[in-house]
Amino acid sequence: MSVRRATYLVAGLALAFLVLAPLTSIDAAQQAGLPLLTDKLWFRIATTVAMFVVMASAWNIIGGLTGYASFGNVAFFGLGAYTAGVVVTNLNLPFALALVLAPLVAAAFAVIVGIPLLRLRGHYFAVATLGVGVAVGEVVNNIEPLGAATGLFLPIIRSDLLFFYLMLGAALLAVLTTWVILRTRFGYGLLAIRENEEAAAVIGVNTTFYKVAAFCIAAALTGIAGAIFAQWNSFINQDNAFAISDNVQMILMAVIGGTGTVLGPVAGAISLELIIQTLAGGGSGSVFSQIGLGVLLAVCVIFIPRGVIDFFGGRSRLSLRYFRQTLRETSV
Amino acid sequence: MSQFTQQVILGLLLGGVYVAVALGFSLVWGILNIVNLAHGALVIIGAYITWVLFTRLHIDPFLSLPVDALALFVIGYALQRGVINRVIRAPLLFTFLLTFGINLVIVSLLLLIFTGDFRSVTPAYSGSGLHLGSIVIPYIRLGGLAAALLLAGILWVVLNRTRSGTAILAVGADRDAAQLVGVDLRHMYALTFAIGAAFAGVAGGIISTFQSITPTAGDPYTLQAFVVVILGGLGRVSATVAGGLAFGLIEVLGQSAPGLSSSYANAIAFVVLVVVLVVRPRGLLGRLA
Amino acid sequence: MSLLAIRDVSKRFGGVNALAGVTFEVEQGDILGIIGPNGAGKTTLLNCISGLYRPDAGDIRWETTSIRGLAPYRIARLGIGRTFQIVRPFPSMTVRENTAMGALFGRPGARLQPGAALNEADMVLDVVGLGEKRHYPVLRLTVPDRKRLEVARALAMRPRLLLLDEVMAGLNQVEIEQALEMVRRVRDSGVTIVLIEHVMKVIVGVCRRALVLNFGRTLVEGPPAEVLKDRRVIEAYLGQRYARDQEK
Ligand SMILES: Nc1ncnc2c1ncn2[C@@H]1O[C@H](COP(=O)(O)OP(=O)(O)O)[C@@H](O)[C@H]1O
Ligand SMILES: [Mg+2]
Repeated sequence: MSVRRATYLVAGLALAFLVLAPLTSIDAAQQAGLPLLTDKLWFRIATTVAMFVVMASAWNIIGGLTGYASFGNVAFFGLGAYTAGVVVTNLNLPFALALVLAPLVAAAFAVIVGIPLLRLRGHYFAVATLGVGVAVGEVVNNIEPLGAATGLFLPIIRSDLLFFYLMLGAALLAVLTTWVILRTRFGYGLLAIRENEEAAAVIGVNTTFYKVAAFCIAAALTGIAGAIFAQWNSFINQDNAFAISDNVQMILMAVIGGTGTVLGPVAGAISLELIIQTLAGGGSGSVFSQIGLGVLLAVCVIFIPRGVIDFFGGRSRLSLRYFRQTLRETSV
Repeated sequence: MSQFTQQVILGLLLGGVYVAVALGFSLVWGILNIVNLAHGALVIIGAYITWVLFTRLHIDPFLSLPVDALALFVIGYALQRGVINRVIRAPLLFTFLLTFGINLVIVSLLLLIFTGDFRSVTPAYSGSGLHLGSIVIPYIRLGGLAAALLLAGILWVVLNRTRSGTAILAVGADRDAAQLVGVDLRHMYALTFAIGAAFAGVAGGIISTFQSITPTAGDPYTLQAFVVVILGGLGRVSATVAGGLAFGLIEVLGQSAPGLSSSYANAIAFVVLVVVLVVRPRGLLGRLA
Repeated sequence: MSLLAIRDVSKRFGGVNALAGVTFEVEQGDILGIIGPNGAGKTTLLNCISGLYRPDAGDIRWETTSIRGLAPYRIARLGIGRTFQIVRPFPSMTVRENTAMGALFGRPGARLQPGAALNEADMVLDVVGLGEKRHYPVLRLTVPDRKRLEVARALAMRPRLLLLDEVMAGLNQVEIEQALEMVRRVRDSGVTIVLIEHVMKVIVGVCRRALVLNFGRTLVEGPPAEVLKDRRVIEAYLGQRYARDQEK
């Protein structure tokens, strides 16, 4: 069996488990005597992982497929979260409406900042988008109706099941979107831009439109995750809605898993988030999990710059030689 | 003296700090092509060293600046030689991620060592200053500006009047050619980063004299250093000085604009950044990018 | 009415006058050769035509409309294909995929889907002689093959005008002959061609008309054989002394 087949099989089984296992927590299932497969902790971790699958896959669309490494995607997450906050808390409207509005707000913002910023490249684009993330968070932090520095509280909806399925749905949507994009003209246009933007332009790719569209799609998906997060957590502020470290995490997940692929960001999100949760759950508090993340970043970047998908599959094999070769290619 | 003059003076003093912070950042970016996201963390290490020397040994903060420089030089050399050199030829994204990871580790270690409490350095003269008409210019801010300009001078001399400086510039201009004429790249990269870190350390020492420090206090300085380089243009010491002073002015005048306050410091930095990048992609003053 | 008309086009970079008022026209079905020493402004001219640079002054007309300042993709979709002197393939794609990109995006009317574009690529690759290597990753290609790939990608757009920037530089005698044969075939299929070469010999082989660029200006224009004998051209290439010696 090829690596590819095996991956799909494992992914399919895992998905089936994810969809079905939570059902064992329903009262009816418990009364019927089924074993409880998921507890509160399971839901918390699984929902968080799904959330990062959305973010990493969305980042992959602009960073991995189009080649524009955005460090500001967390702004879309925060905007989605605050859109939900405003809809539910300030306007007293149903959460379902927030799920529709959040991606629209995030996408609209992506158009506004994307048109000037997507003309920049490399470091300039990276730091400019980093600035977007920081600045939007700061502005929100200063606006009274949005709770300013205190943050915004949403009415609590107590349902692990609901938020898990919502986030899982968003994750599937993100993965499916990537899969579809990679099979269309649009996807090839993005790849062409990533590989050589001027060459793409002179063969007829409307580069500005394509880049902004990719940014918008990434923003919309990330915004949905933000909205779900806001209602799930029922409290948002600058720290949890606009965390730059979240942005770095989503990038790292995509990079570890393999940028530009459909399942890479998924694999990266699952493995990295589980590692982070383990580190954080070690009882030693968040400092060590931060150090762990930092070291992990260094190790990943130095040793597997092409991602684990590439690492395990096809071209290279898990071996010392692989390590030595990547080191030779990238170091002095 | 008018409100405006006072703002301008304050702006230039603040600009001095930005010059100090941005000198090392600009050097590392220009020569190594690395945007060092751990720069702010290096700055704060310098600040803590000054704080320790001041509170334990009662050493004047300005006298501890050479110690900051030396300590950070060693740390910087080790970081580049041991870690960053390994990804120097990888795509930009990777050096970016790596330096973010280094930042995370340094900040967390500082948190473990010094906790998250606010620390400040308060020499006897920190309350007094120069009286000019109705305004008072604190001596420490003047000292900071002087130190920053001195730093710029030292960097210029190092780059333009020493063998190592020439080699560093050669590496920045064309690393392959430099290697061909016998420059040891690994060492030169490490040396460049070490100098950049040393300058960051001194900037941290200066900062500790007028601002309370915490392990995360350095993060905004990374973004601000970037803005300074964008404003001035990458490549020359004079450009960094001009960019730093200009940014100090913009920030002080921006914050005094109606409806804005110091809580918008990052937002202002970012708006300046975007406007300059879009209007003058090669920097307001510089030609190189 | 000519297919492409360049009028007084200028382009400066800082202190360098890369183009200082260039004027010429290209007729439908023609092959125009542009030669000139290194740094004469040939590549800059192509960049202006294909929209990567915006000329500082002058006009560029395609049939009856001005295309000056139009975005590159719109110019491409009018039917203007080009190659890059320093090749710019899409590095992670195969030869076939690279070529298919031209068909996929450069033919607005056809709106091909990826599968159809790949079939189109196969046809084009046979024309440029890369058929056997269609499944190679581009990084495995030699330099001459990469130049062929540039041509293939542009041809896959089915352009009406093809701009070739030094596609024969670095080829040996045999390879140049093959390349010239290919250019003739393309012309015979109805494509108008502007052929930039550093080497004059190539121009004589296929062009009806040649234009010499020097320091951003048109030095001489006319039939290749005459252009090559022009004293100013010899001077530009070999220096004044050589030109004087030749005349004696
Ligand atoms: N993007 C650019 N920036 C600055 N100068 C340029 C640029 N492109 C070309 N030049 C300058 O314009 C002149 C013409 O270059 P080019 O058109 O490439 O010449 P050719 O293709 O005839 O060899 C040269 O002096 C070159 O250095
Ligand atoms: Mg040229």
